[in-house]
Amino acid sequence: MTFRQARWDEPDIWDLVPPSAPGPAPAIPGLPERFRRKEALRWPELSEPEVVRHYTRLSQMNFGIDTSAYPLGSCTMKFNPKVSEVLARRPGAAALHPYQPEATVQGALELTWRLERLLAKVTGLPEVSLQPSAGAHGEYAALLMVRAYFRDRGESERRTEVLLPDTAHGTNPASATMAGFTTREIPSTDGCVDLAALRSAVGERTACFMLTNPNTAGLFESEILEIAETVHGAGGMLYYDGANLNAILGATHPGRMGFDVAHLNLHKTFATPHGGGGPGAGVLAAGETLAPYLPVPRVVKSGRKFRLDYDRPKSIGKIKTGYGNFGLDVRAYAFALSHGEEGLKHVARRAVLNANYLAARLGKTLPRPFRSLVKHEFLLSGAPLKEKGVRTLDLAKRLLDEGVHAPTVYFPALVEESLMVEMPETESKRELDRYAEAFERAANDSAENLKAAPRSLAVRRIDEVRAAREPILSWKDLRTAAPAKVETP
Amino acid sequence: MLEALGLASVDELFRDVPKKARIGRIGIGAGRDEPDVVKEVDKLLDRNRPLGKFATFLGGRIAWRYVPAAVDAILSRSEFYTAYTPYQPEASQGMLRALFEFQSLWVELTGLDLANASLYDGATAAGEALLFCRRLHEGGRFLVPASLPWEEKSVLANYATGPGIRLEELPYDPRSGRLDLGAVRAAVAAGDVCGMLADVPNGFGHLDEGVFDLKGILGDVPLVVAADPLSLSVLEPPGAYGADVVVGEGQGFGVAPSYGGPLLGLFACRKEHARQAPGRIVGATVDVDGRPARALTLQTREQHIRRSRAMSNICTNESLMALAFVVYASTVGPRGLAQLQSSLAEKARTLASSLGSIDGLKAPRFDAPYLGEFTIELARGTAAGFLDRLRRRKILGGHPLADPRPGASSGPERILVAATDSVGEKEIQKYAAAARAWSASGAGA
Repeated sequence: MTFRQARWDEPDIWDLVPPSAPGPAPAIPGLPERFRRKEALRWPELSEPEVVRHYTRLSQMNFGIDTSAYPLGSCTMKFNPKVSEVLARRPGAAALHPYQPEATVQGALELTWRLERLLAKVTGLPEVSLQPSAGAHGEYAALLMVRAYFRDRGESERRTEVLLPDTAHGTNPASATMAGFTTREIPSTDGCVDLAALRSAVGERTACFMLTNPNTAGLFESEILEIAETVHGAGGMLYYDGANLNAILGATHPGRMGFDVAHLNLHKTFATPHGGGGPGAGVLAAGETLAPYLPVPRVVKSGRKFRLDYDRPKSIGKIKTGYGNFGLDVRAYAFALSHGEEGLKHVARRAVLNANYLAARLGKTLPRPFRSLVKHEFLLSGAPLKEKGVRTLDLAKRLLDEGVHAPTVYFPALVEESLMVEMPETESKRELDRYAEAFERAANDSAENLKAAPRSLAVRRIDEVRAAREPILSWKDLRTAAPAKVETP
Repeated sequence: MLEALGLASVDELFRDVPKKARIGRIGIGAGRDEPDVVKEVDKLLDRNRPLGKFATFLGGRIAWRYVPAAVDAILSRSEFYTAYTPYQPEASQGMLRALFEFQSLWVELTGLDLANASLYDGATAAGEALLFCRRLHEGGRFLVPASLPWEEKSVLANYATGPGIRLEELPYDPRSGRLDLGAVRAAVAAGDVCGMLADVPNGFGHLDEGVFDLKGILGDVPLVVAADPLSLSVLEPPGAYGADVVVGEGQGFGVAPSYGGPLLGLFACRKEHARQAPGRIVGATVDVDGRPARALTLQTREQHIRRSRAMSNICTNESLMALAFVVYASTVGPRGLAQLQSSLAEKARTLASSLGSIDGLKAPRFDAPYLGEFTIELARGTAAGFLDRLRRRKILGGHPLADPRPGASSGPERILVAATDSVGEKEIQKYAAAARAWSASGAGA
């Protein structure tokens, strides 16, 4: 074990220099005294080097893709090409205001239009909007579109139910509830949708079935055409959660599989950096039935000019300020351009090869549920670890000591002590072998060492229970030393 | 690798995709090498005319503002920008600590108790606040000022759809643009109100002293204040006048406008409502050695745990922009922020007085106080025509306030004008000269 993360004794920023004694904020001519801040903002006055050093030290206590493999299942943590960072910072991309006249942003509109056309081909769904801020935001907008569609058909009173498999991402049921639907889970058999259960669940109350394919067990839902027929037969819409699109680029697409509407995550398949939790960029793609309901404006080409079209009477309206996360669209477009047809196909083929290769190897250490052929990610069960008194969580922490990130743990819930591993196409065989060796070392380590992990990071095992029981959520709480009182749910 | 799997071809790994579901090809062009990609993308970006080419008076919730180089230097640390959500806190203390500092800063600015680790943008933060209000209080009506920007009304209307809440617009006084408090009283008295949103500055760029009286009128109905973060460096924090939630658009603190995204949604509330709050929250705790540490907390509110009963569906948020926010504020400093706001207010006053005497336009349209933005109204012609004329003189003179959707009621020709830190006396006089030329030409008369 040779890895050590930086361990700075770096104080919080307010402890670097004590903030000055509070006095009133400066007066502004014409501003009524009542508005004036009685106590100026309490925050330290620091020099530029102090600020830079502080956050540089913090950055050294953080894993990123550039420091290590990051095999979080369903998160598709692939390398973020550096050229995209350069392009997104050009004044022609960064120094544009969303309310600039169309004549001054023709390039931005054209790039958006081109990326939308390209994604229409990738998804096989003809109409695309880049407005959503992230995947879950796209899900939510799509469900509002479904709702508006059934309202126009006079069926909104009846079609109130969204169906989803028990392997669905948590965002799916949460988005459905926010959009005003009730949800119903369809059980899985051998990791895939139980078609018989779906057939008996669909009916005149069904608004939509939300499906991720390949699903979160890493399995391709091979009965997808029968699923589509079942949902459509009941008059429902079929929704594609594009979180796992990376696995099927060039092999199939949502349109061919029979989906009516889809969201994609540009920060997954199209390699825009995830920023330590965000930003993302969502994509909405719709077939002819739901396309009229896409958010406004739409980017259209008239002659040689591009413009924003607001004349969509059935549109659900706006879902955010401005048109999408353009800074990320630039990066995604660069990624798509550099890959092209063969490159995107290669992405899926290599990601699937990586997953199957690593699965075969790690399957010798921990059991794999379901069938062996997976797509871009695979599940392991950490249940046997219990024999020596440790859990999946301990293994995850022990992996961090190897200088690699842990897989997604405890999701999906249908596998006991689950680990979900995804090594996208940008990881080499050498990296996979290195990860496998680290994994084997970690899994075969003593219970004592597993429980004591991590030891090589800025901090050791964190007491997360205490964080939730006695919430201290800001500097204000730290100052008053009184934990926030919160109602029990 | 294929050998290890005992396979002859990668094709065999796709045998689970039924033949009828397969596609032959995607149908896009061939890949390009890096220099070619740069050339192609630059060709498109060069067709844009960035803000630096103009005297820029564009504002609204999106700010065009100088960002100290130190901010991007930190954002470019790839340990930050290539990381995922800090689900393994021991490996992610850097981002968690920065987010805790970000939350703390929004708490200090707003005068509330806790902030989340960000939402998508100001408008969706307002939408989440609407849903939050509904969790705290019964009622099928949510009140907003009629002066709220149309985009935000539209986003709010979408967020209101799920729980079946009706968005109700409150009229403003035609002279000051301030909320008609009598109308607020009447709306609340009529009952069934689950919450109200007021914005500071309001959609016209003005400050409404009525906000100090709102909580008294609303009683136990939750009050959401949508506040501009920079204004809070000089204005009384909304927590001090009874706001239960403060949301805002944080892009102006260190994030380039990038044609509207990524942005930064800000959300703060009171601690007794922590379990109803949307989004990720970072909390302080310790490790087994008792060393201070940070971790995501109160996660039972969130979609990955609570699923259909989660407080929100949000997963990916705007963490990197939250980092920019706190690095920006720390670099500029509290005094620097207040000075910047004072200087923008001074520029706005100078511009207003330069435009005030021009025939055919009223600047400012409303007589309430303002900081860095105000609304002008044209007595003749169209906002688009006026702005187009300015653009030909290399001035981006603001943006029309009207809802551009066909069928939207066409109101007066109003333009929101913002002082930005890139304009000085020269640009202000240029604006005034262009407006006088517009006036003299009798355009639209």
